[in-house]
Amino acid sequence: MVHFTTEEKAAVASLWAKVNVEVVGGESLARLLIVYPWTQRFFDSFGNLCSESAIMGNPKVKAHGRKVLNSFGNAIKHMDDLKGTFADLSELHCDKLHVDPENFRLLGNMILIVLATHFSKEFTPQMQAAWQKLTNAVANALAHKYH
Amino acid sequence: MLSAQERAHIAQVWDLIAGHEASFGAELLLRLFTVYPSTKVYFRHLGDQPDEVQLLSHGQRMLQAVGVAVQYMDNLHAVLSPLADLHAQVLRVDPTNFPLVIQCFQVVLASHLQGEYTVEMQAAWDKFLTGVAVVLTEKYR
Repeated sequence: MVHFTTEEKAAVASLWAKVNVEVVGGESLARLLIVYPWTQRFFDSFGNLCSESAIMGNPKVKAHGRKVLNSFGNAIKHMDDLKGTFADLSELHCDKLHVDPENFRLLGNMILIVLATHFSKEFTPQMQAAWQKLTNAVANALAHKYH
Repeated sequence: MLSAQERAHIAQVWDLIAGHEASFGAELLLRLFTVYPSTKVYFRHLGDQPDEVQLLSHGQRMLQAVGVAVQYMDNLHAVLSPLADLHAQVLRVDPTNFPLVIQCFQVVLASHLQGEYTVEMQAAWDKFLTGVAVVLTEKYR
């Protein structure tokens, strides 16, 4: 089980309070689909993903990005039991959605880069470390029920 | 293969780094060591707790090499050959570490350029640095 220190929890929470979930979520997912185009394979039903501007402006991408980042909000409330928190979502991503867990790690990396663009100097190395630990742990939790 | 647009994005971002290789490089290393402490095993020569002077010095060397790669984007194999030899014979950095450096590089660029760090720039730099990593490890075996 991943253990987060008091400092790591505080760092994550302090930044989370200022995050615009819709903007950061939408942008993170859009960047994933653009920087790693093969990830588009899971989003055939999302409509126009033909160009960078189409992806960045796609309302389904934004909506799904917001949904994904909202689940991070839930993760932050349950940092001591991420596997339990994400058990159902893990089964869903394995059994119904058939998503390679590597994608969870890639999306986590995108979230960090987007946070860095928004928070700049405030996104210190220590802040980056805490968030990287969180996104890695969420990715692992999402992969935990795969079979 | 990098498209003309990708090359332009790479060069445009590099213009902001050129002349500041030391500070960007130091920040890259500091983030790398903080976020991925296991990478420090490859930098024992900098000591247990590298100080700012060492980070600036080594960071500058690394970023200057990136600058050379930017200048000769079309001929990475030739221009990075000595560094490829070094990594294969002496440094022997496990290839799984290069994505970690690239992630930290992206965070450095993103935090400095903020809203101006477009997805096109991010994609071009990801592709470019991944290509550099491939060349640096291609003589491993």
